[in-house]
Amino acid sequence: MRSAAQTTFANDLEVFNYALTLEHLEYAFYRDGLDRFGEGDFADAGFDAEVYEYFGLIRDHEQAHVETIAETISGAGGTPVEEAEYDFGYDDVAGFVGVAQALENTGVAAYTGAAGFIDDGGLLTAALTIHGVEARHAAYLNFLVGDEPIPAAFETTLTPDEVLAIAGPFIVSAGGEDSDDTSGTTTMPSTGSGAGVGGELQGRW
Amino acid sequence: MPQPTHELFLAAITEERERRRSRRALIQGGAKLAAGATLATTMAMTPALGRLRAAAQEFEGDIDVLNYALTLEHLEYAFYRDGLDTFGSDSFDEGVYDTLTGIRDHEGAHVETLTQVVSDLGGTPVEEAEYDFGYGDDPDAFLEIAAVLENTGVSAYDGAGSSLSDPALITAAGTIVAVEARHASYLNLITGAVPFPDAFETPLSRAEVLDAAGGFIVS
Repeated sequence: MRSAAQTTFANDLEVFNYALTLEHLEYAFYRDGLDRFGEGDFADAGFDAEVYEYFGLIRDHEQAHVETIAETISGAGGTPVEEAEYDFGYDDVAGFVGVAQALENTGVAAYTGAAGFIDDGGLLTAALTIHGVEARHAAYLNFLVGDEPIPAAFETTLTPDEVLAIAGPFIVSAGGEDSDDTSGTTTMPSTGSGAGVGGELQGRW
Repeated sequence: MPQPTHELFLAAITEERERRRSRRALIQGGAKLAAGATLATTMAMTPALGRLRAAAQEFEGDIDVLNYALTLEHLEYAFYRDGLDTFGSDSFDEGVYDTLTGIRDHEGAHVETLTQVVSDLGGTPVEEAEYDFGYGDDPDAFLEIAAVLENTGVSAYDGAGSSLSDPALITAAGTIVAVEARHASYLNLITGAVPFPDAFETPLSRAEVLDAAGGFIVS
């Protein structure tokens, strides 16, 4: 599993673009969901004002992650992946909260699985400072829906392929399609023979 | 040799409480986190990079880093083990005791695993010390100290992670630090603090962590 993943990331920038892919997805999820559902909708679903406030805070964190990771990639001479189009498939606040829980727990496992592939010490530290925050989000959302906030002594690690299997179905189309710089449009690294995310996703649909 | 009182850790707790209160006030005041450039420049990778590189030089190798982590895990495990001998389920709100026993067991598993890894690498695992956490018979103080320990633990792992050279050990440390962050989130929540006070964790150097946690170590 480890050797497969190792071939997945050509360098630190690929790891960071993988992280950025997930952060784009998370930020868009919260941004659009909180545009759709207000405090009253949360209250109707049995979630108090603090929950709504915390969702807004999580959204702001994801936005900060997107912006910081994108700047880091640009600063290192890479091309940050862009936001894609998503369909999260929820119909109400309860469904939205359920998807949030799944996304955050998957996100933690994705970072845990990818951290060991970052060569640069400064970038590793930066990734860890995000990783911990995703874990905090995950614990809170677990608690909120009545699940164990801390289900195990050790976090699960997921490979990009495993993450793709979970998060990929939310991605309707990759971002940046109007750009002629295709290097910036890869949303997920692939362990396949260089096929981009489109082929990877189509294979799974 | 006894540390000069609990002043060090009391100061750390006070600071942490103040920090969490001010965060809470900020959020409740409706102020939004300033995303983007401001946060980007406060993130670890830019201004703090020099400090972090200096911190990386605090360790002599992977075994040293793992023993540093083990030192903190011993402290955390002993804290929960002894505290949950002191307090029963009726000392806490419903459900809290059960989650605390889960956290205790996690810390015990971290101690065992890190001990094993240090031994496997040919090192000598550090042993449990004697601690005085000073919560007396006050379960709320116990929870407050738990929150401080967990939040400090996350910062310690984040500050030390890049000092590991073996990628497999980085992954292993990652599977632990995420659990510490979950603990911190939960303990913040039940002590009335924001579970995720910042968009980014704060890495701490070994010296900073010893400032915060060293006061608990009696011998």
